[in-house]
Amino acid sequence: MPLDYKIAESTLANGLRVIVSEDHSVPNVTVDLWVNVGSRHEVEGRTGFAHLFEHLMFQGSANVASGEHFSALMAAGGRLNATTWFDRTNYFETVPRGAMDLALWMEADRHGHLLDALNQENLDNQRDVVKEEKRQRYDNMPYGNALIDIYAAVFPKGHPYHHATIGSMADLDAASVPDVQDFFRAHYGPNNTVLALVGDLTPEEGFTAAQRYFGGLPATASARREPVEPLPPLPEPVRDEHLEDVPSDHLYIAFRLPVDDTPEFFASSLAMDAIGGLTTSRLCQRLVRREQSATSVSAHAMGFVDGVSLGFIMIDVAEGLSADAVEAAACEELVRFAEQGPTPVEMESAMAQTERSWLSSLASQEERADHICHFATLQGDAGYINTFLDRFGQVTPDQVQQVAATWLTPQSRAVVAYLKQDGATL
Amino acid sequence: MTIKESVIARPPVSPPEPWSFPDAQRTELANGLGVVSYDIPGQYVISVCLAVPMPLDREPRDREGVATIMARTLDEGTALHTAEEFAELLERKGIALGAGVNDGGLIVNLDVSKRHLSEALDLLSQAVREPAFPANEVSRHVKARLAEIDQERAVPAQRAAIEFIATYFDPDERASRPTAGDKPTVAVITPQDLVAFHAANVVPAGACVVVAGDLSDVDVVAEVEQALGSWSGTGAQTLEATEALRAPDAARVVFLDRPGSVQTEFYIGCRGPDHGVEGGWAPYQVLGFVVGGSPNARVDAVLREDKGFTYGIRSGFRPRRRGGMFLTSGSVRADSTVEALGLLLDILDKAREGFTAEETQAGVDFIGKTAPGRYATADTVAEEAASLSLEGLTTEFTTANLLALADVDAPALAGAYNRYVSGQWTVVIVGDASLYAEGVRALGRGEVTVVPA
Repeated sequence: MPLDYKIAESTLANGLRVIVSEDHSVPNVTVDLWVNVGSRHEVEGRTGFAHLFEHLMFQGSANVASGEHFSALMAAGGRLNATTWFDRTNYFETVPRGAMDLALWMEADRHGHLLDALNQENLDNQRDVVKEEKRQRYDNMPYGNALIDIYAAVFPKGHPYHHATIGSMADLDAASVPDVQDFFRAHYGPNNTVLALVGDLTPEEGFTAAQRYFGGLPATASARREPVEPLPPLPEPVRDEHLEDVPSDHLYIAFRLPVDDTPEFFASSLAMDAIGGLTTSRLCQRLVRREQSATSVSAHAMGFVDGVSLGFIMIDVAEGLSADAVEAAACEELVRFAEQGPTPVEMESAMAQTERSWLSSLASQEERADHICHFATLQGDAGYINTFLDRFGQVTPDQVQQVAATWLTPQSRAVVAYLKQDGATL
Repeated sequence: MTIKESVIARPPVSPPEPWSFPDAQRTELANGLGVVSYDIPGQYVISVCLAVPMPLDREPRDREGVATIMARTLDEGTALHTAEEFAELLERKGIALGAGVNDGGLIVNLDVSKRHLSEALDLLSQAVREPAFPANEVSRHVKARLAEIDQERAVPAQRAAIEFIATYFDPDERASRPTAGDKPTVAVITPQDLVAFHAANVVPAGACVVVAGDLSDVDVVAEVEQALGSWSGTGAQTLEATEALRAPDAARVVFLDRPGSVQTEFYIGCRGPDHGVEGGWAPYQVLGFVVGGSPNARVDAVLREDKGFTYGIRSGFRPRRRGGMFLTSGSVRADSTVEALGLLLDILDKAREGFTAEETQAGVDFIGKTAPGRYATADTVAEEAASLSLEGLTTEFTTANLLALADVDAPALAGAYNRYVSGQWTVVIVGDASLYAEGVRALGRGEVTVVPA
C-alpha cells in the first residue's frame, strides 16, 4: 500500500545529512541522530567500547554539565535516550516544539565538543554502570548469554558480528581515556552522522536550525571502510551446549542470512515467519499445538549491513521431552520448507503481519524518525519508509523457497542449547 | 579563538502549545456495552480494547489463575472454528489479538490496519462470546503456565516481585498471590472451570469497548453494534471494591538466597494511594519522577551516577483498583549489597523531609509536557481508556489530572509523600545470602528472614 509521509532532505557543507519529516499532529519534534559506528567497528581487546562511549555522551561536554542532558531536556518535557547496536549508535529525544532548539544545541555540543568534559572519573563511573547493565541483562539472568553465544557460533572470530555489543568485562576494564579520545576523533563528526527532525516543523525551519547549531562543526570523522566480504551459509553444523541451572531446555537454531535491504533478505525474513515466527508457523503448529513438545517457539530475522545477516529460531522445550527429538523435528520441517516453499496462506499471513507491524512502528514520531535515520544511514535512502512495503510485497514464493533452500537448511545451522543440569529430562 | 567561544549561545525554551487528551465519543448499546472512540488522524493501525470488569477475587480459591487461562484460551477455538483455523483467520488479515487480566478485570486488545477493522471486530466477538475451550488447548495452556511459573522464579526481578506480594499483603488477600495463579491451583484447571467462569463473568453489561485510530469514514458505533450488539448475558453483581489489607508483619526484610548471584535485586515498598486519592493523583506521579524516575532522580543520582552500583533503580506509585503501593526496585552489584540498601532506604526515608521547588517544577514539567507524546498513538490512548474503565473512570480523569499538575508545589509533594511513607518498608532481597545477609541484619532495618530462592 502506498504511504506518503513527507520527507525533505538537505546536506550541510560539513557533510551532515538532515532529513525533515513534517507532521503537525502532535506539537512535538523528535530529534534523532544516527552515527555510523557500532560494535562492528570495534577492534579486538576493546569490545563493548562503542556502547561505553555512548554512555559517556551523557556525562557532559564543553558547555553542558554531567547529567544535564537528561535533566534539562526532561524538565522541558523531553523523553530521551540512546542505543548502540552492531551497525550504528543513535541518540534521540522527543521534545515540545519550543525545546527543539535547546535539544539541537545540546546535541551539537556533545557531538562536537565531548572531549572538553571527558575525565577519568566519568569514565570510571560509566564503566561501572555499563558493567551493571551487563550483569543485569546477561550474566544474572537464565539464558542471559544465549544471544552472545549465538553470535559467536554463527560468525567467525574476528568478524564484525562475532562479538556482542555489550562486550566483555575484561575489555571494559581495559578502556582508557585515550581510547575514548581516539574513538571520538575517528568516528564522530557531521560527515558520519544523519540528523532526522520529525514532527511539528517545516523543512525550512529544520534545515535552518540544523545549520545554526551544527553548521560550525568540522567534518572530523574518518572515512568508513568498505563492508567486509559477504559470508556464505555455514558450511557445516555448529553446536554449543551449556549445562546450566535453567528452568527448562532452550534450543536456539541460528543461521546466517543474506545482507539487509535485498530481495534475498526480505525473502529470508518471510521464510523465518513461515517457519517459526507466525502463530500459524510450521514449528508452532507442529511442536507447540500438535505434538506439544515445546511450550513456545519464536523466530527472528535481524538485518545487518556487513556482508551477512542473522536469523534464529528459539524453542522452549516442554518439561520431560527430549531436546534432541525436538531439534530433529525442527530439522525435518526445515527440509520440508526448503523443498516445498511457502503456501499461499503462509505468504498472505506473513505479508499481512509485516504490513501491520510496519504501520504500527510508523505510528509514533519517535519510531518513524528511527526508521528514517536507519535507512538514510545504512542504506542511503531516507524515503525508504514510504516504499518498504511495496518492495517487500514484490517477493515471490519462489524467492522464499530459494532462500530457504540456500540458507535455512539443517546443514547450515548453528545450535546453541541451554540444557537443564541434573539430567532433569526424563 | 577557543572552542567554547565559538559555540552558539544556549537557546531559551519557549512554552509548549496547548494540548488536550483526544476527545472521546461515548455511547452505550442496548445490552449495556459501552462504546468509546477516539478519532486520531494519521493513526492507520486501529487499536481496539475490550475491558470487562472482573475482580480477581471472583476466582475460586482452589482455581486461582482461571481468569488468566481463560483470557489466554479465548481465541483457541470457538463455536465456529478450531484453534488453528482461528489463528489463521487472524493472521491472514494481519490482526494481533491478545488478552490478559489485572486486579480489575479482563482486557482483550487487538491491533489491525483500518481496512480489516470489520473482520477483526467479528473475530473479537467470536472469541469473547463463543470460546469453545477445547480440552487439548486448555491443557496445553495450563502446562505453559506451569512452565512460565518456573521461568518467573528463575528471573531475579520476577522472583522478588512474587515474594514481595506474599510478604506485603495479608495472606487472606487474593493480592498476596500471583495474578496468573500458582502451581497447585493452575494445575487442576479444567475446561469446565473455564466455561463456568466465562459464563459468569464475561458479559456485556458494564463492559466497555474502546476504538482508537484514524476513524475517518468509519461508523464505529455501527461496526461495534454489528459485531457485539447481540451479545447478551448478565454477570455477578460487582461489589464495591475494597483495599487489599497489608499483612500485620509486612514491615520486615526477606532475603531470598540465590547462591552465586553477581547482582542483588531489591524490591521495596509501602502503602500508596489509588487514582481517587483525596487531594488528587497528580502529586504522586510527580513524586515517582522526582524520587526514582530518571538517572538524575534522587535514587539514581547517588546509586548510579555517584556510586556506579546499578544500571538503574526505579521508584513509583502503583495504583490498584482500590489502594495502591509505593514501589522501588532494581539491582545492584553484589558486593555493594549492604551499602546500597542502606543508602537506598536512607534516600527514601529522607524524602519525607521534603523536596526543593526546583525538583518539584522539573517533575511537574516532565509529567505535563510529555503527555502529548505519551498519548500520541492509537494503542496508548486505547489502553489508557480501557484500563481506567476498569476503575470506573474515563479519560476525563487523565485530562483533569494533567490540569491539576499546575497546583502541585513543593509543600503538596511533601504532604502527599508523608501521607503514605512512614518508614515501614517491606524489603525483599534476591542475592547471595551467605555473603550479605549478616551485613543486611547489621543495618538494623528490621527483622531479616533468609529463605531459599
